[in-house]
This record gives sequence, C-alpha cells and structure tokens, in this order.
Amino acid sequence: MAPSPRDRLGTVVRYLGPKLVQFAFVIWATYTVTFLLIHFLPGDPVLAALSLKGGDATTTDPAELAALRAQYGLDGSLWQQYIGHFLSALRGDLGVSIATGQPVADMVARALPNTAAVAVLALVLGVVTAVVITFLAFVSPWRWLRQTLLQIPPLGVATPAFLSGLVLVSVFSFGLGWFPSSGSRNPLGVVLPAITLALPVGAIFFQVFSAAVLEAMAGPYVFTAVAKGLSTRTIFLRHVLRNSLLPSVTILGLLIGYLAGGTAVVETVFSRDGIGRITVDAVLARDTNVIQGVVIVVALVYSVVNLLVDLSYGVIDPRTRPALGGRRTGTGRAGSPQADSPQAGATSVDAARDKAVIES
Amino acid sequence: MSRSTPTFSRWVAAPVAALATVGLLAACSTPLASAKDTVIFAIKEDPTCLDPQQTSLTTALNIGRQVVDSLTDQNADTGEIVPWLAESYETNDDLTAFTFTLRDNVTFSDETPLTAGVVKANFDALAALGSAASLASQYLAGYENTVVTDDTTLTVNFSTPNAQFLQGTSTMTLGLVAEASTAATAEDRCQSVIGSGPFVYDSYVPNDSVVIVKRDGYDWASTLREHTGEALVSTIEFPIITENGVRTGGLESGEFDIIQDLPYADEARFDTDDFTLYAKANTGVPNSLIPNTSRPIVSDDAVRHAMLLGTDREEIKTLTGAATAEPPTSALTSSTTGYVSQADAMEYDPEAAEKLLDDAGWVLGSDGIRAKDGVKLSVSVTAFYAQDVLETVQMQLKKIGIDLQLNMVTAGDFFGVIASGDYDFLGAALTRTDPDALRVLFSQAASSHWAIVDNAELEGVLTEQAKTADPDARASLVEQAQELIIDNAYLIPTLETTQLHASVANVGGVTFDSASRIVLYDVRIAE
Repeated sequence: MAPSPRDRLGTVVRYLGPKLVQFAFVIWATYTVTFLLIHFLPGDPVLAALSLKGGDATTTDPAELAALRAQYGLDGSLWQQYIGHFLSALRGDLGVSIATGQPVADMVARALPNTAAVAVLALVLGVVTAVVITFLAFVSPWRWLRQTLLQIPPLGVATPAFLSGLVLVSVFSFGLGWFPSSGSRNPLGVVLPAITLALPVGAIFFQVFSAAVLEAMAGPYVFTAVAKGLSTRTIFLRHVLRNSLLPSVTILGLLIGYLAGGTAVVETVFSRDGIGRITVDAVLARDTNVIQGVVIVVALVYSVVNLLVDLSYGVIDPRTRPALGGRRTGTGRAGSPQADSPQAGATSVDAARDKAVIES
Repeated sequence: MSRSTPTFSRWVAAPVAALATVGLLAACSTPLASAKDTVIFAIKEDPTCLDPQQTSLTTALNIGRQVVDSLTDQNADTGEIVPWLAESYETNDDLTAFTFTLRDNVTFSDETPLTAGVVKANFDALAALGSAASLASQYLAGYENTVVTDDTTLTVNFSTPNAQFLQGTSTMTLGLVAEASTAATAEDRCQSVIGSGPFVYDSYVPNDSVVIVKRDGYDWASTLREHTGEALVSTIEFPIITENGVRTGGLESGEFDIIQDLPYADEARFDTDDFTLYAKANTGVPNSLIPNTSRPIVSDDAVRHAMLLGTDREEIKTLTGAATAEPPTSALTSSTTGYVSQADAMEYDPEAAEKLLDDAGWVLGSDGIRAKDGVKLSVSVTAFYAQDVLETVQMQLKKIGIDLQLNMVTAGDFFGVIASGDYDFLGAALTRTDPDALRVLFSQAASSHWAIVDNAELEGVLTEQAKTADPDARASLVEQAQELIIDNAYLIPTLETTQLHASVANVGGVTFDSASRIVLYDVRIAE
C-alpha cells in the first residue's frame, strides 16, 4: 500500500522539523552568549574605537565622550540594545562599525570571499591529499609502508600554522619567488595560505577518513568482493569509499564551519583580508557591532552546513532514510552521527550482509 | 695690432669660455627621473582612516602626506616655517588672528581651484568634526571663524591665543582637501579624500593595500623639495604587511622597494651597501613615565627624583632603541624646536637615587624592595606599547629598591584609564612637532592632559608660552618649562622613539618632514 501524500509530508516534517528548530536555536544562542560576553567585558567601546583613529591625540574629556556615546547609540539599556540589535539583524541590518564607520554587512561581504577562496582551496587540497594517502595506504602490500603513510598527516596538526606559514613564505616566496608573499591582488596569492591551512585541515580529515576506510576494509563485503576477483582500485572506489563517507562528511561539515570563522593567524602571516582578521581587530577595538555581525554570519554558515550534512546522510546511506509514510528507521541516529557512526556502520553492514545472504 | 688682439681676446675669452662651460654643464645636468614607474612601499599596519585631517596614526599620515598639500611647510633641520600653498602669511601680536594669502593656479584632483572659500570650508568642517578629528581639534583649539577677504586672502580667528596653529598649518593634519570632501561625512572621508597633492588615492582595500597614483599637472611643490612639477613615479603601492619577518624578508628579496618600521633588532642586518636606512627621532615629548602626583607614593618628590636618577637611559637605548638614536635628555626630544638639554639634572646616578630614598625614610626590605611605615615602594605604570622599554626600567629600578608593576592594556583601555584618573604612571610618548606638546601633556587646564601635577609656576609658564608670538621670548619660556619639569621630576624620560625605515639602495628621494613623517614626492628608483 503506497503511503499517502499526507503521510509523506508528515514524515518529512517530523524529520526536518527538529533540525530546523536546532538551526534557529544555535544561531540565537550564539548571538546571546556573544552579546553577554562583549557587554560584560571591561573597557569602553567608544574610547577603544576613538583610539584607533586618534592615537595619542585621543580625547578623554568626559563631556565629549558622552556626546559621542549618544551619537553611536551606546547609551540605551542593555535589554534595549539586545532586542533592538537582534531584530535589525533578522531584517538583514547588521549595524555600523564604531571603529571604521562602515556598515558591518559591507565589511563582512568584503572579507568573506577572501576567506572563502583560501578555505575552499585548502579543503580541496587537504581532502585530495588525504584520500590519495589513504588509497596508497590501502593498496600498499607491506604493513610497514601502510603504518608509515598513516603517520605522516598528523604532522600537519602538530606544526603550528604560524611556523609553517612563515617557512613556506621564506622558501617559496622570498627564496624561489614562485608565489607572492602577501596580499590578494595577485591570484597566485591564494596558494601559500591554502597550503598552510590544508596541513591541519587535511590532517584532521585524514584521521577520520582513514579510520573509516580501514574499518570498512575489514568488512565482510570487501572479503566477498576480493573473492569475486575485483581489482583493489574498484573495491576502494565502489565499496569502501561510500561506506566511509558518513563520518567523513560529518568532519567535513565541522571543518567548513571552522574555516568559515577565518583563521586569523594565516591571514596575518600572509597579510590578507579575511573574517579572522576583522574579528581580531574588532575584539581589540571593542567594536561590538562587528563582533556580533561576524558571529551571526559564521553561526549561520555553520548551521547551514551542518543541516546539509544531516540531510546528506539520507542521500549517502539509504539505510538511514526514514521509510516514507510509516515506520521510522534510523532517524534517531542522524542526530549524533560522529560518535555513533562506526558502530552504526558496523550494525548496518551486518544487516546488509544478512540481507545480501538472504537475497542472493 | 695682431699682438694686442690675442691678449685682449684671451682676457675676454677665458671668462666667457668659463661662463659658457658652466652654462652648458647646467643645461647638461639631467633632470631627476626614475627608472621604474612603480614603487612598492610595505607598511606595517592598516591605516584604517585615509583622511589625514582625521587620523593620528603614523602609517595613515605617511600616506596622507602624499595626497594633500599644506598652507605652509617647515624645514625639518632648522624648524623655519616657509610658504607653500600660502605664498605669504602674518600673525597678530597675541596669536589670535592669522592671515594667509594663497598662491594662484592650485587645483585639487577634481579640477576645482584652491580659493580662500575652500580653505574656510576646510577649517569649518574640521571644527564641526570636533573630537572625531582629535589632533586637528587640538591645533584648532579656540577656533572662532575664518573670514574670507577675497579669492586669495583669508584670516583665521581664535578666541584664545593659539601658539601651535602656524606650525600646525605645515602638517598634513591641517592639509587642505577639496570642497567636495569637506561636505562628505567623516566615514566617507576616511575611505578617500580629494587633495591637491602630487598623488591621488586610487584604491584602498582594508587589511590588504593602498594604492596612490601620480597627479598630472602638479606644479606647486614646496620649495624645500628637490624638484618641481609632477612626481617622478606614476604609482606607489602600499601593501599592508603586519608580520615583521615578512616585511624584512620582502625587502631582502627585492619584493618591496621600501619598508616602514624596520625592527631595531634587524638594523644591523640591513646596514650594508645594498640597503639604505632612514632614521629620525620623533618630535615632541619622548617615551616617558608620566606621573599622577595625586597618588600616595607618586606624590613623594624623593621617590620621583630617585626614579629619574635611577633610570639608565643609555642602557634603555642600547637594549630597546635604534642604534642611531640618542637617549632623551629633556622633557622634549632632541629633534623638537625649543629643546634645551637638561642632561645634568637627569644624569644616571643610582647612588644618589638610593641616598634620596634613604633620607626620605624608605628602608630596604629583605626582598630587595624598600618600605616605609609598612607601605612597600611599589608603583604601577599603565601602557599600551613599548613593553620592552618598561621591562628594562623595571629591572633598573629594582636595583635601587623600587618595585615597578607593569600594566599593559589595549589602546582603548589606556585612554579609559586616563579618563578615570586611575593610574600611578603612564608609559607613553606624545609625538607633536610644536613644543606646545608640553602644555598639552602637563597643563591641568588642557582638555586631555595626561600628567596630574600641581605646580602653579609650571602652569603659568605653559599658559604664557601658548600666548607668546615672539619666537625668542617663547623659546625662553619653553626652556623654563623643561627645567621646571625635570627639576621637579614631573617626567621620567626613557626613550626617544626613532622612526626607522629601510629601502633598497637604488631608491632615492625619501625624506622626512619636520614631524618625522615621510615625504615621497621626490622618490625615484635608479637603474
């Protein structure tokens, strides 16, 4: 009996509903915690902003400061500022930066593409390298080679980005002159920052991915495939890869969220504009509007990415899809995938094996 | 007949020939030119605001100087004020009215002409900006109005005598912008202004770079410069490189032609034939400990005198300063007009310092710190930069039994502390070209003074010098002020901060103006 459209709709809502509520809650909670943190920090935002421009000529005359405070709207009650700012943020108006006088939305829009360019390239480089090294470890006939290959990527996390960035600049920029050392004017300027970021990002992805691959490798369906005579490459691409995607996609989502926050260290070493740097500058300048604007945007990106990751589980692994129109199977597991996946994967593998045995 | 003619012609020919040779040589001397058309000048921080009238950040002022011109110019070596956009000027006797006559044919980069009305618009807009343009508002303290007599003559009137104003008109802080810029909002002005300078703003990408391009038809350079007419290069790029290592590495590899702020530690590395170093001490009050004498221990004269005699300025300079710098020897730096050395009163003498403290009843405790009536001799200094200088002072004062606590804060918190008065000492410099900086810092009547002192004689001298037009009379008052400040230990100078920049050896024409900021009008790159 086919499920009625109403049942289908019901299932989808039951599936998506909690996730959308979670999405909204994360954004609201981030905003509130940031607001509380900023406003209970010591220091006067107006003086901090003035001292950016004024240097040692900054006025400290109380009358002038009070006038400026009123001018920037920093004199309402805490509750008024909280609600007012949240409502305008919902409308899309992120306010004006006290330090630079620019609309916050403009500043974020200007910095985001720079961060995105480096982040995307870093992700691509990191993921591709991780997959390649994992494949080589997978196909290597000698155990010692496999163990060695598995130990290389963790170096990427061990080396601080500050050090690797400066070394890369010294060697490839000043030494060989292949890449510019700074700035975003030259399109090649993306490469060295991306490599610096790809080291820790690729290493973290590699840890999760290779663990998932090695686990999938030990699965009985691989034994069956080998027995059937498939080549190692086909086994890797067709069977192992797809089964190790669940945890990898999860960690990818987390990494995208991390990169969306910008990495101030890489941006400083390579003198690039980006989300990380404007955040650091805003915190030092007590520029509340910029801090809140950046936090909301980053939380938004992070939540959207995680929502997509959640939804992608259904696409990747049919076993996690809720049966439309009736029994709920596997919806609970998608909520905390990273912790549960290896075990979930194992039980699904067993179930799949049983199914394969029965159906063959 | 044939005898006298050769003699006569020899007597005439020689000088004529000499004159002709000189003339030929003069005509043959090649005009200044640059082999490369773009100069890359790496700066150390984001200028944040590109409007030279609003900002006090040295980086922003270094860039702004190339884009705006000023009414007057000041000779960096002699301190003499010379005409620039104003071909003549006069002041009245009590420094409340300044009349300027502008030169002809000056235009801004939007092709509007420079008239007295535009200058009036500049000053009125600045006065309206108020404390958003902090440094300019100090130069314009007491500003009443500007009266335009005709297209090229104007008079600026003040309600109280303003000693800094004329010197201020030579800085880029009172540099002139076009009328369209005076009408724009402060935030828009920070993105770009229209000036009459040899360069024009081309682009500003925050945290990335600033680019300025040559102004065609520029022909009103100051007489203090090396050439006339347009700039010698067509573009100057200022990439923003905050990492010291990347900046110096880029200079070494040739990626950058000039870099701003060479760290002192790298000075020796670039002191070779392949590079040129540019060093000039900041003008104004040197980096010092500025006291709040209303605080309990700081109010003790003996403590302040002991601190003054117990700091070894030579050692501070060796450890933290530029090799070419001089240790401070007065309340003003040695490059400021009106500086008079107080070296005798400030000479490093730790034994004398200890004797002063012993006589005042501060007894050395077992932990090496003195105490009196159960109160330890512990004072704090609040600062937002130059931590290495303060750490050196802390080490030196420990030797005579004084405990100096360091309180490093952000810039905003530093001014918050000044506003609330919650400090023993402040650790900072005040960079100004005019000796009126002493009044800004010490006069309790000044709006944003940093030192809290109670000395009627000093107050009187500072107020008087601000009203004195006669240069010699004023100079003697400024000398008196320095003596009073050092004799009462109202200031403990530590370091004369030096602007230290570096370039590749084939760069020429980089000079400092009287405020130790950079002028790039003559910059050129040889083969």
